[in-house]
Amino acid sequence: MSEPAVVLRGVKKRYPPREPGLAPQELFRGVDLEVRRGEFVAIEGQSGSGKSTLLHVMGGLDRDYEGEAHVLGCDLRTLDDRALSSLRHLQIGFIFQSFNLLPGLTALENALLPDFFGEGIPDAPKRAREALARVGLADKAGARPTALSGGERQRIAIARALIARPPLLLADEPTGNLDARTGEGVIELFRELHKDGMTLVIVTHEARVSHAATRVLLLREGAIVADPGAQESTD
Amino acid sequence: MRPGKLWRLARGNLLRELGALSVSAGGVALGIACLVFFLALGAGIERVVHDVFPVSTREVEVVVPSLAIGSLLGEAKLDEAMLTRLRKLPGVAAAYPKMSLRVPAVTRYNGLFFGREIHMGLEVIGVGLPPELVGTDARLPFEDKGEDKPIPVVINRRLLELYNKVFAPQRGLPKLTDSMLVGFQFPIELGRSYVSGKTLPNLQETSLVLVGFSDRATLAGASMPLSAARRINARFGADAETYSSVLLRADSAEDVAQVASAVKRMGFELDESERNRALQIGAAVELVTLALSLLGALITALAAVNTMQAFYASVRERRREIGILRAVGATRGDVAGVLLAEAAATGLTGGLVGVALARAVAWGLDRLSLTHLPDFPFKPATFFHFEWRHIALGVGVALLAALAGAFFPARAAARLDPAKALTEG
Repeated sequence: MSEPAVVLRGVKKRYPPREPGLAPQELFRGVDLEVRRGEFVAIEGQSGSGKSTLLHVMGGLDRDYEGEAHVLGCDLRTLDDRALSSLRHLQIGFIFQSFNLLPGLTALENALLPDFFGEGIPDAPKRAREALARVGLADKAGARPTALSGGERQRIAIARALIARPPLLLADEPTGNLDARTGEGVIELFRELHKDGMTLVIVTHEARVSHAATRVLLLREGAIVADPGAQESTD
Repeated sequence: MRPGKLWRLARGNLLRELGALSVSAGGVALGIACLVFFLALGAGIERVVHDVFPVSTREVEVVVPSLAIGSLLGEAKLDEAMLTRLRKLPGVAAAYPKMSLRVPAVTRYNGLFFGREIHMGLEVIGVGLPPELVGTDARLPFEDKGEDKPIPVVINRRLLELYNKVFAPQRGLPKLTDSMLVGFQFPIELGRSYVSGKTLPNLQETSLVLVGFSDRATLAGASMPLSAARRINARFGADAETYSSVLLRADSAEDVAQVASAVKRMGFELDESERNRALQIGAAVELVTLALSLLGALITALAAVNTMQAFYASVRERRREIGILRAVGATRGDVAGVLLAEAAATGLTGGLVGVALARAVAWGLDRLSLTHLPDFPFKPATFFHFEWRHIALGVGVALLAALAGAFFPARAAARLDPAKALTEG
């Protein structure tokens, strides 16, 4: 069996009470999760169930939790800001529902964004053009995000996530703002990445995305309630 | 994060927020324009003061005290023996004796004076100077050739300025230049005074020939070779042995204090009237310059506060972007660096625009002065002197002000929780 890419053990997270005198809101009551390298995992859950927050915990963006989080062999609790940034820079690709492109940069520059930080990305311009070609936007390299459609923006965001060729891709509702046809294209791209050996963890509430995944988890009432993978490991 | 990439990232944001940052840069530019303008004005006025009161930092003028026990007893006198002692003082590089003409003299000019018929009589005050002190200021030989020859004299340039700007316009006389006057001869009667109405026996009529203009020449009168002053004083039985003053040149400016102290111990005084006047005016100019520069600094400080507000607003608006940067690998330092690079560009632009603005206003005022102000003595061609250090200071202060203004917003941006920035941005 392959190495785990993501391991969460007893992850708890509370939000401060909305009003004085009320009890703190408990988002996670103790999430246990293991994602093996090369897996394509979809996490489903209702709005407000904490799917995005769980993804932020896995990506080291949210450090305000209790419990253990190990990603690609690193204990996130022990990493300082520089080491955590380096992990996100080279090992983790992020895709967001609202694309999150920088409006002042062109499509190519947005795809190149990770190259701006740390020691940069080897062969970054070449890789960025390849990534744009892979998402079918080679001819839009010089366009600003405002001149692109929603689907095109999301594909540029995917190209940005791929430029460092990270082993782990975390996607938060990547098809949420796309029409059915464009969304299908993105899902197909995820299938290809999975075939290439990339580990994908995708938060979604869309059945078509879950169908593409090799494993589907359900986040409900602050815990993972359906984890066939965990079941497998106990078997 | 490499500087080139930092700049590329900052440039995109700058272009996007051009409006808000232009206001910040404009505030900085205004403050820097005031700062550089007043510094250049102060330096320009100091130059004028220096031209009017040229002061050497290496020289002191030794004079006999006007009232001292030594002088009453005849001890403190500047004769040849004392000159030798002064030359031997530690730190003294050279000593130049000066001797006043101790005989009354007048000039009476009747005739054409550069195209104008004039009738003029003036008391002449003369001082003898060693030719080596005048040096190349004299364009014709500055040496006494004897009793029956014209006496060469040099005149202080400031006297010519006063003549051209005050005397000539009042009397309707022509304005004169150096080249017009060099070689000009005018009659002199040695042994006569219009002031006291006396005429000494052995009155001598001769002439003076102007051989040049020198800052070394006395301000009120004509300076002739030391040997001529000595000869004329001796001819009329006046004191031809003691000097009226001795100019001491120190090895360096640092030696001046030591030389001055030694001179005072010998019972002499230093004639520092011109130096003190220059210092007083210089200090007043510096004080006013400082006060006005502080005004410029205050405006720049306000611009820094404005920059701070602009960057806080920018950070609030760009929370999500900051979250994205963190998600793709930016450290806290990188996020702060991007904002500080934007601030640096704002500050540099403000500084350069401010310097250009100061220069433009100075140029305009100089043009106005040239065309609208009356021609007064020592009126300079420009009232401003822009030095590189002023420009460097202006741009440097602009840069610092913008960076200081952006410091806290940049720190706040760096401390943003990336997860919150992404979800709440």
